[in-house]
This record gives sequence, structure tokens and C-alpha cells, in this order.
Amino acid sequence: MNASYITRRLIYGIPLILGVTFISFLLMVYFGPDKTYELLGKNPTAEQIDEVRHSLGYDQPFLLRYGGYLKELLTLDLGLSDSSGRPVSAILSQSLPISLALVLPGFVLGNLFGLILGLMAAWYRGKWLDKLVMSASVVGMSVSFVVIIIGLQILLCTPYGLDLFPVRGWQVHDPGSYLAYVTVPTMALVMVTLGYNTRFYRAIMADEIDREYVRTLHAYGAAPSEILFKHVLKNSLIPVLTRIMFSIPFVLISGSLLLESYFGIPGIGLVTFEAITSGDQPILKAVVGLTGVLFVLALMINDMLYNVVDPRISKS
Amino acid sequence: MLKKIQIAILLVLLVLGGCGESPTTGSGKPVKIYRHAMDGAPGSLDPAQAASIYANFIVVNIYDTLYRYKYLARPYQLQANLAAAMPEVSADGLRVTIRIKRGVHFIDDPAFEGGLGREIKASDFVYSIKRHFHPGTRAQGAWLWQNRIEGLDRWKTEGSDYHKEVSGLRALDDYTIQITLTRPFPQLIHTLVQGYAAIVPREAIEYYGQEFSSHPVGSGPFKLLSRDSVRAVMIKNPGFRQLPFDLANEGFDPVAHKNADFERLQGRSPPFVDRLEIEFIGESAARWNAFVADAVDFIKVPASQFDRILKQRNPVTLYPEYADKYQFETSPESGFIYMNFNMADERIGYHPDPEQNRRNRALRCAMVKAFDWKKRNATFFYNIGQVFPGIIPPTVPEYDANGDTSYIRRDLQAAKALLHENGWNEDNLPTLEYGFPNSVAARQAFEQFRSFMTDVGYPTEKIRPLIYATYGDYQRAYSQGKVTLMDSSWTMDYPDVENVMQLYYGPNAAPGSNSANYNNPDYNRLYEISAVMDESPQRTRIYREMNQLLMNDCASFTGISRTMLFIWNKRIIMKPDRSFLGGYFMRFVDVDETASADP
Repeated sequence: MNASYITRRLIYGIPLILGVTFISFLLMVYFGPDKTYELLGKNPTAEQIDEVRHSLGYDQPFLLRYGGYLKELLTLDLGLSDSSGRPVSAILSQSLPISLALVLPGFVLGNLFGLILGLMAAWYRGKWLDKLVMSASVVGMSVSFVVIIIGLQILLCTPYGLDLFPVRGWQVHDPGSYLAYVTVPTMALVMVTLGYNTRFYRAIMADEIDREYVRTLHAYGAAPSEILFKHVLKNSLIPVLTRIMFSIPFVLISGSLLLESYFGIPGIGLVTFEAITSGDQPILKAVVGLTGVLFVLALMINDMLYNVVDPRISKS
Repeated sequence: MLKKIQIAILLVLLVLGGCGESPTTGSGKPVKIYRHAMDGAPGSLDPAQAASIYANFIVVNIYDTLYRYKYLARPYQLQANLAAAMPEVSADGLRVTIRIKRGVHFIDDPAFEGGLGREIKASDFVYSIKRHFHPGTRAQGAWLWQNRIEGLDRWKTEGSDYHKEVSGLRALDDYTIQITLTRPFPQLIHTLVQGYAAIVPREAIEYYGQEFSSHPVGSGPFKLLSRDSVRAVMIKNPGFRQLPFDLANEGFDPVAHKNADFERLQGRSPPFVDRLEIEFIGESAARWNAFVADAVDFIKVPASQFDRILKQRNPVTLYPEYADKYQFETSPESGFIYMNFNMADERIGYHPDPEQNRRNRALRCAMVKAFDWKKRNATFFYNIGQVFPGIIPPTVPEYDANGDTSYIRRDLQAAKALLHENGWNEDNLPTLEYGFPNSVAARQAFEQFRSFMTDVGYPTEKIRPLIYATYGDYQRAYSQGKVTLMDSSWTMDYPDVENVMQLYYGPNAAPGSNSANYNNPDYNRLYEISAVMDESPQRTRIYREMNQLLMNDCASFTGISRTMLFIWNKRIIMKPDRSFLGGYFMRFVDVDETASADP
């Protein structure tokens, strides 16, 4: 893996970013909410409507607007939010780290527990443990995220329950306060993702466990832990990595919306949701561009990791 | 192993326990904090763009307006704020002279020379109003003064040059403002109470440019400390003028306010709290959980919690477990919910053929008679909304409590008879588009409406929903005449019913606020006569006549005023209010430090 490989992957990413930004911009312009009427006063005249449309840039030709968008992305001068007038870059730099800090523990734990439970269920396939884990996964997948959030909130954050953690907010200034604010959202995230992760990882592991080399290992008398962690897990890392890497942009941008909304956390999910519902195009454009870049990066890192875990995969 | 887990839990609890330390002021006194929950978030904090109640909650606390309403007086009464006194108005009502207080300063900010806030001058007010007429501001309040102030509209058409004077908007000296009107405008002072009329320093707008909306520089009782998508934090403006609170002047009523403990405010200078924390909590379950967990001091109770806390609804009383802990108040909204017919649509509205015009009116009246307000109130407003005929809501003095209520009484027989007598049947009834912005409640309201109409034989498939992603999209659609039936609500901008009557004034047709495109020459004439009149029995008679004209034409299904239920912690001394201004009351909120923090 060298600099030319990375450069090549980056160049491959350019058409992808252009495609993503072009399609999403097209959808935003022709099918997205129109902000004009929300920014008008009462009893507006036709002239005032035109003024607002002009200030929003709605009266410019599509290609010119798209060109401007690309320029904004290239220069990272993302403009000001149509709703609040705040610089988009400031909004993103304020909210993105918060979202990252919010979802990272839940993301890691959800995948880690999913892997462990998936491995166990696959190893004991058809036995009561497998049935228990799979049944619990289905239950977990069936319960609405909102119900989990509200349930945990009542149980752990209000006088109706244990009242142990803050019910909302993000006044994080040290590890203790971080722990206080992140615990319940993390529990909610783990609960909602664990079922999906466990079923996915179990399917992969079960497939891997059926392979001939595993029977050979059994024949050699290898210990179950050696078979599972040294061989099965290692050999099934490609789909595991793919799932994890491609989840990251989603988790970062949209996965935290409900958590942020219910726990009053000023992250990027909430910012994006409000931008979608209000038609705040400068924020939407930035988030879409950012998501595209994140995907390209995820793809690139994914390819690099493929090479690490399975050297047979050729760079070419 | 078990012991390790126990130790870990203990450590976590210790860490959490350390988070609850109370902040103190520099003098060692505990910081008085009031934590307010709102069900929405503000957009821009530029007063020129303060179109929502949410934005006003912050704007009127950061900036100064010339006037405000008295804290406790109901009906609302005007009170000088930055103005030194009530205005002097010429005999013909066209010239208004306002003197402002001396020695009032903007907060310190890098925008000013040396970073020190300078004194507010009359010219700041002139500049602040002119901004609404400058295309670069993207202002939303110009409609308040459009065609009202001499020379102001012309100033805009001539290029909005701030160096050019507006003949009707002048600073006679540093402390005297003179406004010359094109015609009498009795509501002028009400417009000067609004966040739109807040006074901004030109230096800050030039310094921050478009980012001014996130860098407020005002002279109000608080200044903004931080703001993000979930909360805004304001702290006391240390330089805010000292004006002792006068109970009698603020409209204190020993009977109405007997348990509120407002006496403790007498003689003290607001603001009474050091810090305001406003939480924006859109989800009702999260709002309620935050309140019961004592993370906020006040909420507007979500309707979903009414059954849990209300022992009875008329009059509203709480179950003892809530009454012991919390104060509450019911407040009728300053506005109402209604549905308009698009009168510009020939299928149901005005028609050039007099015969068809008559049949269309009969169809509208039949539909109005088929509408069941009782059920609407029970289903969506927990039976505590106030249904009233026409557009004069019960919150204003012009409301006629003894008036005819047949307009809001369901009468299926009469509705069917009207349809039959005018030749309407399943085959020739027009297909109508009922528009609403996307939400579950709006969809439910639509389905209920359709079921009401089905009861008089209107085919279900002939009332079609038109659903829009945002309110702005919906507004654009009905402004362009794409919707036949419009689900609407109106919140009054000021406590004068003129603000409602203009909703059906012909020249205000879409894209103006007359979304019904109602255009009755008699109504228009009466509006023009009454719009320049002060509140009087004669004006009330005219308004009631206009109300009747509207009902005779069956231009609208109207209406219901929702009742809001506010609840707050007993240690908070306040009279909450989200009418008109939203948030003015917060400078008068006090915290009783002797009361338990956890009720």
C-alpha cells in the first residue's frame, strides 16, 4: 500500500462524490422544501417574494447553482444557514464531534456484543443458546427505537424510575460528566442495534463454521476458542469490516437523530433533520457533501483493511 | 467478580454525584437559574427576522423595544419600556412623538469602538425600522409598517440608502423620535412592542454582516451566552437599567394573583434571575420527562399528559400529587384554528354566473353545517378548546358571548336540505383538494373532516388530501391557488382584533394573509373604516357586522381557540405568557430560594 495507491483511490472517489452531490442537489432543488414562504413576512408582495427568492439564489440557473455548490465544497466555505444565519462550518464543527462522542461507545459496543453473541449462536447452532439469542434479537429488532429511548429515559432518568442519569443535555466537561450523559443513549443504541448485528454476524460465522478447514481443526483437536477467535473470526473479517465501515457515515449523520432529539443533544443528526424539514439548503448541501466524502474515505479505508486482513486480495 | 462490579458501580455513582454542584455568583450567592422548555427552536435571532414565538422568546430578552405590555394586567395594557413615556399623538392621529430614556447602553461588544457598548439614540430606532425595508436584510416585519409610514416605502423603491432621510421616520434629536403616518394607525404602538421593532446597533450589523443573527448585540435584560440546536443560555445583562418593579402599575390583582407571591418583587429591579436556560424540546414525551425529572422548571403540558394530571377539565384542576408540587395556569391562545375555502376557486367560491355563485354559497354553507366542532374539540383539543362562531375569538373584548352560535352548530338535516334545494348531488359535487403540511395530527384532522362531509353525502373520493413536506411548501401551494380547502391557524400579532379582521380584507388576498381570497366589498369598506378607529363601542359594532358578513358568505369553517396548560415548579414565581410576544415575562421571573429544589 503506497502513496500512489491512495491517490488512485482518491481519484476514483471523485466521480462518486460528483454523482452523489449532483443527484442530491437535483433532488434538493426540484423536490426539496422551498424556504421562500417561511422567510416571508405576512401579506407579502410579489416583489418581496422575488427578493427572498433572489437572496436564496433560487432564481439562478441550475448548473450555476451546482457549480457554486462544488466551489463551496472545495473551498470549505459553506455559507450561512438559511434558518439561523449561523455559519454552516461553525454549526458542523460544533455538532459533529458531539455526535461522534455520542454514538461511538454505542457503535463499538453494539458491534462487539453482536460479534460475540453471533459467534456463540453460530457455534451452538440449533441449540437452546442459539434459539435464545436469535429470539432475543428478533425481539430487539421489533421494538421501536423511540420506545426504547422513552422507556430507558423513564426508567433511568426520571423519578418514575431510578433517576440516576441526566434526562437531557450535553454539559460535558470531564470524563465523569461524559459518562453521565452518554450512558443511557449508549444503552439505547446498543439495544436497538444489537439484534441486527447479532443476526448478521451469526449468519456470517455460521457460514464460516461450515467450511472444511473448521472440521479439520476439530479433527486436530483444536480448542473451541482457538477455532472461533483465531480462525473463524479472522477468516470472516471481510464482511464484518465492510459492514462496520459502511455503517460509519450513516451512524454519524443520521443514526443519532432520535437520540439527539430525545436527549437534547446538539449533534449533527438533529441539525440535519431540522435542515431537511425546514429546507435549509446550505446545511443540507454541506451534510450531503460531507456524507459523500465520508463514503469515499470509508471505501478507501475498507480497501486498505481488506489488504491487511487478506493479503490474497490484489491491490490491482 | 461481584465485588469488582459493585466497586465499579460505586465509582460511577460517585462520579455522577459530583456533577450536581450548584453554581454560585462571584459574590458567593447561589446563581438563580430559570429553565424554560419550549416545544420548538428559534431560527434567526435578528429582530428583523423574529417571526416566530420561539425567536421572540430570545429576542425580546436580549434587545429593547420602545414599549411592552404590563406583566400582570389582562386584557393587555401598554407600558413604556425604552420609551420614557407613552407617545404624544397629534389630534389628527398622524404624528406620533416618542421620547426615549437617556443613559441606556448596548452591551459591550467588539463591534463598538473600544469594545464598550454605546448609548442608544433615537437614530438607532430609525435605523432598526429602516432595516425592514432594505432588501439585504431579508426582513419579515415590513408588513407592519408598509404603506403606513410616510416616505418609508418610497425610501425602499429609491434604493434603500441609509444616508437618505425618511420624512415620516425621523430622529428629531438624540432622544426624540417622530413618526408621521399616512393615515391613522391605532395599532402602531402595539407594533413597537414586537421583537421586530427591537433596537439594534448599526455598528454590530456592519461588523458581523449576515452573521449578526447569531451575534446579538442588544440592550435588554439578558445577553446571549450560547445557543445551539437544543438550548439557548442567557445571562443577566449587568448594565441593564435599574427600574424598581411596581406591583400596582404592572396590573397586580390581589384576588387573581393571591397565591402567586408576586409581592416579593415589589421595589426590586428586574431581571430577577441570573441565568435563563431555554431548552428546545420538540418531542412531547421528552418534554414531559425533562419536567418531571426537574431538568426544566416550566413546560406547556403536552396534550398526551392531560389524562395523567387533570382531575377535571372545567374548571381545570390537577390531581393532588401534581397540585402539591406544581403551579399551573390555563391560557386560551391568542388566535384560533380554522379552515378556509378558496373563494377564488370557481368550483366552490365566487363564480361569474350569479346562479352558480348562489349554488356555490349554498354548498359551502351546507359543508359548514355538516362540520362537527364538538367532536373536533373532543378529538383534538381534549374538550378544553373554546369553539366560537366567526373570527372574533373569546380572548378579545369585541367577542360577543351572547351572539348567535348556529354557525358552529352541526345540523345535518339543514345541510342535506341545502344541498338538495340547490341541485347538488353525489354526481355533480366538485372534487376538492384539502391541503395541509405533513403531520399525523393534520392527517387525522383531514380524515375527520372527510367523515363529517360523508355524513351529508359528499363522496369520500371527492375530498382529496394534498400533503406538503413543510409549512412553507403548503403556504406556497395555497398562495398559488392550488388548494381548495385550507387547514389554517392564526396567532394574533398584537392584542387588537384588527389583526384578525385583516385576514379577510380583499386586498390582502394570497399570497397575503387572506388565504381564502375572500373579497366582499361591504366587508372591505367596513374594514377600511374601522382600521383607522381606536377601540370603541362603534368599532366593536362594525367588527361584529364584518364577522356576520363572513359567516353569511360561509367562507370559512371557524373557529376554535386552543387552551394551553402551563405548569411550573412551585419555587418559580411567575406568570407565564406565550401570547403575541413570547418571553417578555421572563425578566420578571423569580426563584424562591427558600423552597425545596426538588418539590
